[in-house]
Amino acid sequence: MKAYSKPDRAALPVVLDASDVSVVIDGKVILHGITFFIPKGEFVCLTGPNGAGKSTFLKTVLGLVKPTSGRIDILGKPAHEARASVGYVPQRKGFDRDFPARAIDLLVATLRGAWPFRVTEIERERARKALVRVGGEKLIDKPIAGLSGGETQRVFLARALINDPVLLILDEPTAGVDTKGRAEFMDVLSEISRSDELAAILVTHNLAAIARTAERVVYLQDGHLAAWGLPHELMGRQSLEALHSNHGHALGEPSASADESPRFADDD
Amino acid sequence: MNFLTEPLSQPFMVHALLAGIMVGGLCATLGVFVVQRGLSFIGDGLAHACFGGIALGLLIGTTLENSTLVALPFTVLVALGIAYVLRRGRLRGDVAVGVFFSFSFALGVLFLGLRPPDAPVVNVESVLFGSILAISEHDLWVIAGVTAVSLLILGATWSRLAYATFDAELATLSGVPVAALDYLLLALVAVVIVVAVKTVGVALVSSFVIIPAASARLLGQSLPGVALIALGLGSGGAAAGLLLSYHLDVASGATIILVMSAVFAVTVLARGKRAS
Repeated sequence: MKAYSKPDRAALPVVLDASDVSVVIDGKVILHGITFFIPKGEFVCLTGPNGAGKSTFLKTVLGLVKPTSGRIDILGKPAHEARASVGYVPQRKGFDRDFPARAIDLLVATLRGAWPFRVTEIERERARKALVRVGGEKLIDKPIAGLSGGETQRVFLARALINDPVLLILDEPTAGVDTKGRAEFMDVLSEISRSDELAAILVTHNLAAIARTAERVVYLQDGHLAAWGLPHELMGRQSLEALHSNHGHALGEPSASADESPRFADDD
Repeated sequence: MNFLTEPLSQPFMVHALLAGIMVGGLCATLGVFVVQRGLSFIGDGLAHACFGGIALGLLIGTTLENSTLVALPFTVLVALGIAYVLRRGRLRGDVAVGVFFSFSFALGVLFLGLRPPDAPVVNVESVLFGSILAISEHDLWVIAGVTAVSLLILGATWSRLAYATFDAELATLSGVPVAALDYLLLALVAVVIVVAVKTVGVALVSSFVIIPAASARLLGQSLPGVALIALGLGSGGAAAGLLLSYHLDVASGATIILVMSAVFAVTVLARGKRAS
């Protein structure tokens, strides 16, 4: 097996530490002994074919699924005790689009852990700052029902950032977003990926997204960690292409444009 | 002026108005969460479960008045059963409610049929269509107690319930006890339905839950705003319908629902006009 470059555990504090994580659901093994870690400030792209276990891994990191064996620590705490330190942008937005609320209500709900009756000036300012960070300050009072796909992603990203997390989790955030919204969102993600403070996991099939954001890539395959290394190591001829060809998908070179980039498979 | 003073000179109308205002407001406020969660069918389902509970009470020998004491735990149990099935996540809300609805109603019919031939005759019409004009002082105190306790619980859990209604997964990640709130909401709806059945009956009670909340949803811009509008429309609709029924000398429960429906229709038309 090819040797990939791992981060130096001693160089920076470890934010996410997955140690031999296995998850069995309804008798089916979804994750097999996943072991890797993310140091402070590192932006990791988690990729692999559909059904590889990416979403289950994220749910385990979020503390929504308990590992059957092994453990996930976030800054030394078990995942389910560290939820406040994690910002999360879900793939499918499960919220009711008809809900009578503005963007600021959602952001303040995340701050408080409860839906706001009234928003204080301090809360408004924190919401505004989070939206400024994602280029969405104009959205603050916009009804959620009126947000476009790209705007919704910005609001959800601001929501994920509002509590100053140490770890940001993005589950295929541009799935279902139009071309323009996707390109704009990738610009924001690219900016965030340069942060030295925030560690992040971006689940994506999109090679351009990996090219623009990844400082390290984790490739899952059939619930196993198939590769963990630097983007250029995995995106060379004998790397992702070889890994992925095992699954019969075509793989091209990454393009500069996020919206026209080659993909492993449709976002799931 | 006579429109108000004449009915209010009658004690039965005062009782009915107070009961209608409390039940109308409470059902509508809870209805905001029910409608927003896409569970509008739940009112009907639990009302029919209540019928099953009343029939069980009659089978074991309680009077129609006291059968509420059996209907209450029975309906709450059905509500918890629906919440459990909904939380399993494999069936849609309308399917889960529909199954429990049919099951409870069938049980009710079976229980009534199993009563001994010499059992007292039951006025099924009053169960189906309510008897708001026959509200006693004792009933009024029960309604007031249930309203006060329900509003206290709703007030204490409102903002978390709202967050869980918006998105259960995000609310869970923010530390909201979503499962407990799901069960609590349906149990609360069950209790309120049982009390409300006395006023408008099994057949019409779900309208109290759904119609004012649906109108408010069209008018309000925020969830607190929608809840306050629903409260006003529920209480106001009940009072207006009752007074109208008194003067027109027509069925009170049905008139209340028709007034609420008229408000809904006007709201839909006004919204349509504004949108165009």
